[in-house]
Amino acid sequence: MAKHDPEYDHEHIAIPGYLGVFAVLIVGTILTYFVATIDLDWIFPGANTLVALLIAFTKMACVMLFFMHVRWSPRLIWLAVAASFFWLAIMFAYVMQDYLTRATGVFTQ
Amino acid sequence: MSTHGHSDKFVYHEPGLQHQFSDMEQQEESVSIGMWMFLAQEIMFFGGLFTAYLVFRSKYPMAFAAGSNHLDAFWGGLNTIVLIVSSLTMALTVYYAQKGNRNLQMLFIVLTMIFGATFLGVKAIEYNDKFHHGLVPIAGLNKRERGTAGAEQHPEGKPCWEVAEHGSEHEYVNPKGEFEWADCSLAKMAQDEGYLTTAEKTGYFANGELDGNKFRDKVRIFYYLYFVMTGLHALHMIIGLGLMAWLLWTAYRGYYNADYYMPVEMSGLYWHFVDIVWIFLFPLLYLLGRHFTHGGH
Repeated sequence: MAKHDPEYDHEHIAIPGYLGVFAVLIVGTILTYFVATIDLDWIFPGANTLVALLIAFTKMACVMLFFMHVRWSPRLIWLAVAASFFWLAIMFAYVMQDYLTRATGVFTQ
Repeated sequence: MSTHGHSDKFVYHEPGLQHQFSDMEQQEESVSIGMWMFLAQEIMFFGGLFTAYLVFRSKYPMAFAAGSNHLDAFWGGLNTIVLIVSSLTMALTVYYAQKGNRNLQMLFIVLTMIFGATFLGVKAIEYNDKFHHGLVPIAGLNKRERGTAGAEQHPEGKPCWEVAEHGSEHEYVNPKGEFEWADCSLAKMAQDEGYLTTAEKTGYFANGELDGNKFRDKVRIFYYLYFVMTGLHALHMIIGLGLMAWLLWTAYRGYYNADYYMPVEMSGLYWHFVDIVWIFLFPLLYLLGRHFTHGGH
């Protein structure tokens, strides 16, 4: 007997949903390209990078939630995903608090 | 009789269930968590390179912008689209595996492989371009013969900030296959407008003057990171193509059905992860200095 419990439905978002996510990813890519050609430094230096990363994070969230089915996954999977980014944040934070606070001429050239 | 031998009662045994799991749901959850643990360490694997990128870009933003502007955003953007399409076909592969539709599943595996191979082909075109322009950061790995080039080699007697990017072509001599870079105009611009970083104020200058060779060495750091990050990503694509070939064979042999398709779903997770890495590599490598050349400066 095969299991076809509606509570444990694996179909997720079906084809229109996948195409919708795909459209968001394509629009995000085109947007990334055009925003990169506009100088946003008048807002604050590095605003271009921030906008590019915001779009990239949005695209990543779409891929993870829908293509990778995290949206319908058990809490344990959510925890694994969150922990990955938390570890990454620890690595970035501790490396940068070192490099950004070094006195010039001591360890830098 | 049970096939396990530890019960006299008949125990229904789903064909895809391995003996250490009590039911399909537990098996699927265990397999998923194992795959996500693998992806977590993959995130840290690439994370080390992103950390290196963060450190050196925060020190030498102008050299990174200059190096980035020489990458072709058309090829990078095209590859982003190709990978997103391949992610869609991969998602549909999993979808049809869940439906137990073997033929459409195999069709979408083949499409995913075609897009994956297209990505690698575009990557080869780009690497070849770097080889011809003296932009491979390891000395000796660049094209050595004579030819013509734009701004990569320094014309005699000109300060490095007056070498126009994609300027007039001149004779190209690179007998040792060295890394070549001549244009330091972005550093000059940052100097004039007063936003050089502390590291840049020492890193680009010799005797108080902008030094083309010192700037070149910082651009070289960008190209090291470009090759290692995209190279590691390309290696993941090659492994992904291997996985797809295996999936195609096992699907053809009829290993999967609507109740057992976890290998397809797990390979999909891997493929989407590789796509996500590229989603970050594209803006961080190809687009980061583009607003300096297109945005009214």
